[in-house]
Amino acid sequence: MTTWFRRGGFSTFLFLLPLIVVFGVFSWFPIVRAAVMSVQQTNLVTAPRFVGLDNFRTVFEDPLLWTAVQNTAWFALIALVLGYPVPLVLAVIMSEVRRFRGLYTAIAYLPVVVPPVVAVLMWKVFYDARPEGVFNTILGWFGLGPFQWLQSATTAMPALVLEATWAAAGGTVIIYLAALVAVPHELYEAAEVDGAGLWRKVWHVTMPQLRGVLLVTLILQIISTSQVFLEPFLFTGGGPANSTLTVLLLIYEYAFASSLGGDYGAATALSLMLAVFLAALSALYFWLTRSWSTS
Amino acid sequence: MTSNRRTAAALAAAAAVAGLLAGCSGSSQQPDGGPVQISVVSLKPGSEQSAFDAFEEQVRQFEAANPGIDVTSQEYEWTGPTFTAQLAGGTLPTVFTVPFTDGQGLIERGQLADISSYVEGFGYTDRFNDTVLRAGQSEDGQIFGVPTAAYGVGLHYNRTLFAQAGLDPSRPPATWDDVRTYARQIAERTGQAGYAQMTQENTGGWMLTSLTYALGGRMQSTQGADVEATVDNRYAEQALGLLRDMRWTDNSMGSNFLYDWGTINQDFAAGRIGMYMGGSDVYESLVQQNNINPDDYGLAVLPLAPGAEAGLLGGGTLAAVNVRATPEQQEAAARWIDFYYMSKYLREDAAVLDARTNADADQPVGLPELPIFDRATLDRYNTWIQPFVNVPLAQMSSFTEGIFEQDLAGEPPAHAQEMYAVLDSVVQSVLTDPNADARGLLATADAEIQTILDRG
Amino acid sequence: MSTPTRTRPPAPRTPAAAPPPASGRRRGRAAEPVVRGIVSPSEWRTPRVRTGLGLTQVVLLAALVVVSLGPMAWLVKAALTPTQDTLRDPMAFFPNGVDWANLSTAWTSVHIDLHFANSMIVAVGAWLVQLVVATTGGYALSVLRPRYGPVLYWLVLSTLFVPAVVLLVPLYLTVLSPPLLGASLINTFWAVWLPAGANAFNVLLAKRFFDNLPGEIFEAARIDGAGPLRVFWSVLLPMSRPILGVISVFAFVAAWKDFLWPLLVLPDPDLQPLSVRLPTLASSIELDILLAALMISALIPVVLFLVFQRTFLRTAGLGGALKG
Repeated sequence: MTTWFRRGGFSTFLFLLPLIVVFGVFSWFPIVRAAVMSVQQTNLVTAPRFVGLDNFRTVFEDPLLWTAVQNTAWFALIALVLGYPVPLVLAVIMSEVRRFRGLYTAIAYLPVVVPPVVAVLMWKVFYDARPEGVFNTILGWFGLGPFQWLQSATTAMPALVLEATWAAAGGTVIIYLAALVAVPHELYEAAEVDGAGLWRKVWHVTMPQLRGVLLVTLILQIISTSQVFLEPFLFTGGGPANSTLTVLLLIYEYAFASSLGGDYGAATALSLMLAVFLAALSALYFWLTRSWSTS
Repeated sequence: MTSNRRTAAALAAAAAVAGLLAGCSGSSQQPDGGPVQISVVSLKPGSEQSAFDAFEEQVRQFEAANPGIDVTSQEYEWTGPTFTAQLAGGTLPTVFTVPFTDGQGLIERGQLADISSYVEGFGYTDRFNDTVLRAGQSEDGQIFGVPTAAYGVGLHYNRTLFAQAGLDPSRPPATWDDVRTYARQIAERTGQAGYAQMTQENTGGWMLTSLTYALGGRMQSTQGADVEATVDNRYAEQALGLLRDMRWTDNSMGSNFLYDWGTINQDFAAGRIGMYMGGSDVYESLVQQNNINPDDYGLAVLPLAPGAEAGLLGGGTLAAVNVRATPEQQEAAARWIDFYYMSKYLREDAAVLDARTNADADQPVGLPELPIFDRATLDRYNTWIQPFVNVPLAQMSSFTEGIFEQDLAGEPPAHAQEMYAVLDSVVQSVLTDPNADARGLLATADAEIQTILDRG
Repeated sequence: MSTPTRTRPPAPRTPAAAPPPASGRRRGRAAEPVVRGIVSPSEWRTPRVRTGLGLTQVVLLAALVVVSLGPMAWLVKAALTPTQDTLRDPMAFFPNGVDWANLSTAWTSVHIDLHFANSMIVAVGAWLVQLVVATTGGYALSVLRPRYGPVLYWLVLSTLFVPAVVLLVPLYLTVLSPPLLGASLINTFWAVWLPAGANAFNVLLAKRFFDNLPGEIFEAARIDGAGPLRVFWSVLLPMSRPILGVISVFAFVAAWKDFLWPLLVLPDPDLQPLSVRLPTLASSIELDILLAALMISALIPVVLFLVFQRTFLRTAGLGGALKG
């Protein structure tokens, strides 16, 4: 013990103390607690009761679970179709800008800087479904609409994705730009020697070089879209008719929506299920990135 | 040597961090012999400054009369999620308010303090309207919540839009067919929503229940201790049919079908809604939060279908005391409830003081209320505050004259808020999907609600 | 925790350290027209490519301006017009003149100053906690290397696989009654700051960066008689500016954008940051005032961004380099 102290073991421990305390109290302890709570029933007033897998059963028997899973998958899918290629195309074109590239990136990045809550509240005004609404007025100039936007079960989710993409695309553009700049120009020169034109260079040199980044952003996007909360919470509250109820919103509702006290057991049970799914994705991500960094 | 000193310094730093951590937790112990400190709910977020000023003036009056009590206030608006979070978080103030629907559930879960002994000391427990008082009583008659206000659902309408649409603002609709006709006329002639409906945060279920009651149906039936969901009834179907016709046939409901209590009030005050159903006590909030032009406002009784079954849904607010409060705080809290919410109905000096304070701050005085004691007590109170009345009572005469003719029915007895939450999406479906199958939706909802009721 | 790619990446691919400072510089140079891209200099000279590409770029710029700046410009306009203008003809250009009073009304009725200050306090505190945890922890794990270090590091890294959402409820309950402390952290800024510190990604970044610093320097300092604290403060930290910058930007941006967590743990309106307060008030204040409040709330970070544009974009790109 004394030698441990004299060798500086104690001061090392002191350096680790912030990490141990913060992770211990706010990460490891809650993780264990989540596992325990998922098999308990607790309302914070009476002592928790062990209920086995009842919480999981409650969640599985809730018809809203499947609605929420479908909605979340739907959100992720539209976000992918809409939000995945756009930043890539933007970045490829922007990487060829010779003058004022800074202007392009700054403008593209600007929406990312707007606080998400402000963006959502602003877009809520844009989505006014009257013919006099902002978007409906603009589309009216071209003889389109008026659209129902958030006021219809079919258009509400795409409307949410549209805003989310607007708010996030700039960040992805910057990532792609960084990756594009890192593509060794010798590869292009070699392709040119082989007589490759512009499109073939993009297709056969740029894309393969971006493969890593593209896969990683893909997985990251799926991970973050499966946790979407802010948009449905602030735009529609999950409506109309539960058409934008996402998994995280359902967790929130289990835990906090009933005014008589939440069902924390069901909330953690559903959280754990989502976590298993996300952990699998994270593991995939980790494995992919690691295999590339070593190759 | 140096390294030892370093270690000591690091240790001291760590201790300082720990100290900070401990210090930040803000313990609320009162020093012995000092004043009793209680926190009370004040007004809704976003209320006018003058309203908050009037409230603080009343706090000062209370503190002057009760030198041993120190009152702090915090803004408050009851909504399901915020209330749960505060309940779980232990951040509810000493005195807070909850709707009648939640009284029983909170009492059963041991979340409210038993304040019987203090309230009985004020000497008016036997004068309460029995059905009203029951909302705040446990099965064995102990008082956990004091009814402070009762409302009936009314029909709010915009007189200016009525006039613009060629309707007589002093003759609000008397039947639901009238409501539909008027709504269409308003929508056609003014371009605003003729009629609008709340659909979010349990208000959709609340208002569907109101409409169903008004048409003659009920959402739950009680046999002994068993409660059965009866959501799937023909009156509810008729209610949804009416909404569907106004929305899809007449197109008279505007373009927003995701209203909650706050946003529908906001749009009504902004002159974008001709008529909507809501608690009869909304005007105060329309003034304080939404800055409504008083000339626009009209309040009518809700049309009830002919027949003995049709009833008016009524509810109210309970003032309750945090179960975590010390006995001293509980007593002080009960005094505040007596001072701020109750005594004005029973003592002329209190009524006049309250009315004058509010009138001086340009806050609404004299709104129509339903009796929490008996009708005579309420009438007497209304004569006391007569000189200070500053709300357009004439524009609410349909309600004030008609309300006492109507059969008042309480909200569904069990899990009302959870039932309302399920019904929200039914109403949203009908209003956003032209092909929604009202009957099927009600049947599904009925089964879901039965599951909730069976779970207990 | 909401939209595509807004969340922080769980882990970097390359040793973060690889050379962040160098890569930053390289990127800086890349922006200059010296380095070629996909299009070769000879292709640039052909008129077809030149006009085609030039036209594409002009169209792109126009599209970016409309899509990115358009909503902001509209917000500025709408914030300065009466509600009825926005409701009746939202796209008309100041049909009834400018209503400057909206701004001052919004500032006072929403208490923007108070909530903006709260946003700053939340962000700065979270940033400090994250820096302290990441640097002290990274230093101990990378340089001091206690025997239990690998286990600890593994425990930290394993939390990368646990998404934040699982912790929502148990963490909330932990903040209500934290072990060791005994008193609830609800309605204190610590409830936001401390959980932010439990960020494995930061620890990983810091440790990998420190791993790649030349070990001889620490050895030399130790031989000169410097204790661990001295090495940490006077040797390690000065060499770590790049990685501190990265952690700082991530920490600050994440704290600035967070919504759900502060909504849960800061119910007291006087403590709420702007992002939590605005939705509450949205349903009670008039539309023109709300829009003015939104504009002011958006303007502050936008101006900060324009001023510190280079740092921001470089770090965002660096984040990308780390992600990829």
